[in-house]
Order: sequence, then C-alpha cells, then structure tokens
Amino acid sequence: MTPPAALTPPYDGMFVALLEAVPDAMVCIAADGRVVLVNAQAERLFGYERTELIGQPAEIVLPDTAPAEHPRHWAAYAADLQYRPMGAGLALAGRRRDASTFPAEISLSAIDTGEGILVAAAVRDVTAQLRMKDLERASESRESFVYAVSHDLRAPLRALSGYSGVLLEDYGGVLGEEGRGYAERIVAVSEQMRQLIDYLLQVSQISRAELHRQPVDLGAEAARIAEEIQRREPDRRVRVTIQQPVQAWADSGLIRTVLENLLDNAWKFTSGQDDASIEFGTAPSGDAAVCYYVRDNGVGFDPAYAGKLFQPFQRLHASRDFPGTGTGLASVRQIVELHGGHVWAEGAVGAGATFYFTLDGKESA
Amino acid sequence: MTSQTILLVEDNPDDEALTLRAFEKSNIRNRVVVMRDGAEALAYLFPGDGDGDGDGAPRPALILLDLNLPKVGGLEVLRRMRADERTQMIPVVVLTSSKLEEDILVSYRNGANAYVRKPVKFSDFTDAVKALGVFWLLLNEPVPVSGRKSD
Repeated sequence: MTPPAALTPPYDGMFVALLEAVPDAMVCIAADGRVVLVNAQAERLFGYERTELIGQPAEIVLPDTAPAEHPRHWAAYAADLQYRPMGAGLALAGRRRDASTFPAEISLSAIDTGEGILVAAAVRDVTAQLRMKDLERASESRESFVYAVSHDLRAPLRALSGYSGVLLEDYGGVLGEEGRGYAERIVAVSEQMRQLIDYLLQVSQISRAELHRQPVDLGAEAARIAEEIQRREPDRRVRVTIQQPVQAWADSGLIRTVLENLLDNAWKFTSGQDDASIEFGTAPSGDAAVCYYVRDNGVGFDPAYAGKLFQPFQRLHASRDFPGTGTGLASVRQIVELHGGHVWAEGAVGAGATFYFTLDGKESA
Repeated sequence: MTSQTILLVEDNPDDEALTLRAFEKSNIRNRVVVMRDGAEALAYLFPGDGDGDGDGAPRPALILLDLNLPKVGGLEVLRRMRADERTQMIPVVVLTSSKLEEDILVSYRNGANAYVRKPVKFSDFTDAVKALGVFWLLLNEPVPVSGRKSD
C-alpha cells in the first residue's frame, strides 16, 4: 500500500484537522502495518518529520520489545476490531528517533474509512505520571514505616517506665534517696520520649489524613480547652478572654489540636505571671478572610529565633523552666498548612507572645 | 468475686508482668489466666473444638485482649468468640498500643465492649488496669447465668 501523497479521501481536510486537534500523538496505521498518517504531536513526541514516518512500519516508533500484548500484527488487530472499534489502554513504550524509549500509554481504535480499516494509535508519554506514582509510593511507605516504628517503640518504653516505677514503689527503701532520684529520672525521660514518639505518630497520621472540613466554632472549642486546662491546674488564676462565636471551615479534630497546643503553650509560658492573661480572637488579615490569634502576657521569646519556633524539636526555653518536647508548634504548623493557611508569631522577651494563624480563605466566614 | 477468672491475652512479657502487678496492687485478687497468642486463647476458650459443645469450657468474667498477637490476631479471636454463643457475651476489652482509627472501629464492629490504649507512663498504666478491673468485675452487672445458652 502506498501512502497517500496528498490529502485525498478518506484523508480529507476535516479528518486531518481533527487529527491535529487531538492532544495526544496520533499514528494511523494501515492494515499492512505501515504508518499512513501522523499529527504534529507525534512528530514532536518521536522527533521525526512526518515524511520520515509515513510509509514506515509502525515498529519504528512502537518498539517490538514491548510485552506480548503489543498488537504487532496491525492487520489482525484491524480485522478483529472491524465491527467493534474500541480503545485499549496498554502500558507500553515508544521509541524516539534517537533510539531512546519512554513509557507510553497507547490507545488503539479502528476506523473504517470506507476503503479499508485504519488503526489509530493515540500515544501518550507517561514518564511524569510514573515518576509521580513512584514518589507517592515512596512517601506512603515512608509514612507507614514511621508509623510502625513509632508504634513499636512504645512497647519497650512502657516496660522502661513500668519497671522504673516498680523499683520506686517496691524497692524505694533499698534504693536510697539518690537511687530513687535516678529511677525518677528514668520515668521522666521515658515520658519525654513518649511525647516525642507520639509526635512522630501524629506527623505520620496527619500527613496521611484527609481533611474533613466542616463548620467549627473555634471560640467554643477554645473555651472548652481552656476549661480543661484550668481543671488540670485548679490553683492557677488566669484571665481567659475568648471571642465567641468564631466560625471557621476546618477539620474539627485537627483544628482542636492546633488550639490545644497554642492554649497549652500560653498557659505554660504565663505560669510565672501574677496577672496572667490569655486571649483568643480574630483580627483583620491581608490575604486571608480571617486571621485567628492566641495571645498571652507570658515570658515571650526573642524575635531573633522566631523562625525556630515552628521547627520540630526546637525549644527556646530550658526544659528546667518550661518542660516540653518542642513538637507542639511543629504540629500546629503542619495542620495549619494542611488547611492551606499560615502561622506566625510575634513577641519579645518578657512581653508575651501572640500566635496568628489563617486557614484557607475559601468558605471561611 | 474472686472465683471469677480474668483472661489476659498478651504476647509481650513486660506488659504481662506490669498488668499482673497492677491487678495485684489494686487488690484485684481474681485468678488471671495468661494466653500468649491468639491460637492459645482460642484453644483455652474452646477446648476440644469440633466435638460440639465443649462442656466445662472456661467462662472468664473479663477478657483483656491485645490486637497484635502471634499466630492468630486479636481481632480474629474476637470474631470467633462473638460468632459462638458460648462466648458471645463475655466482656472483651481490647487493650493495645494501637490508636489507629481503623483498629478502634473494627474492634467495636466485631463486638468489643471497650477499647483502651495501653498508656506508656507507669502510673497511667497502673491506673488504667485498676479502673478496668474495678469497672468490669465490681461495678458492672455481669450477664445473668440464665442468659448463657449452654450453661
């Protein structure tokens, strides 16, 4: 079969225009397995001029190293599909002019031109998609690894904390004061490590979590959390001012973690204050619809280190003064960013701190 | 009260030791039977399985069940228990390290009566075990004997 030199029927103007409009590289193959028509996308994809392709066996661009289902016998394919034209997504490879190959998705359909069957192959380079899939898989397995490890770390830690506790309770007399002190230290650092592991678990869970946004009254949540904190330390007097209602469009479980961390911090860092005060409210913001804040009049922080605040395991205060693992604000940032928002802090040493955050402006009131 | 047996299904010897001690310290003097994997637990609950009724099979008053167990997992043990009328109503508390939402859901779906995550902190762990014992063995009204089909 000789390829048509000009655009004679069935390859008329309309047909060719359609072919050029298709976003995929199109290679039309006659029953004898030779290329009869290509579009500009095919020229680009394979690196050939179309005159170089027309008349050539289809294998010039669709290498025969492909798996068995490769429709090598175009005639057979065309005959088979004569009465049921269809597309088939096949994971195959394409070959460029420079002999390099790329992973390709090829859909075939049979076209009855009235003068014989043409097989139209739509070829798509899927290198990027495959790389994306690999990345997703790697990230998934890394997260489940983190989950498994942090989960398994809890068991020996429980034993560590447990047996030290048993030593203290049952053998406190034998240990003596110094010995008891060491056992207490083991219990304390076990607890610290538990918090670190819980943070790892949380990170792996948050990054695997899907956002389930719903209307949440952040004011009501903040008030509930503040009450819980007060109940834990009933002797402390803190003036808590909470704006209500404060509607937000957020994942209620995750946003609760944000408020808990911010209010816990405010509570903790005002512990030395006689007239401790904590405030939750909203403020106008530049780009987002609303900006939420938690303000306290506690010890504050050196603005020079503001950037470190939200990094995991970074602490701006000695554990001796303010216990903690340095993971709370890192969680806050992770969750806020998952919502498409930002978090930042303002403060000065001895002058309190204000933590601001926004959530994705869309649909938040 | 002390005639009632507690079945602890736990493969971690440290968790076993700490759980037993917590019971002891809480003055819960019930006999505690420990099974160290799911297959052992099933063999204990269904002795001579296959011959029908298994008369004289033990009926613990409370089962503390870990999920991640060798051989037969905790969920499978729970499923088999709930599918069998002899063990259908025994209170089962899932006591595990996992706080995966799906583990919690599947446990309840398969008939767990409670789900408790093992605390890491010693004092919390002791408190949790004590609370479980007090609630399920003292406060909670057990299933009446007449309600147990094969008794």
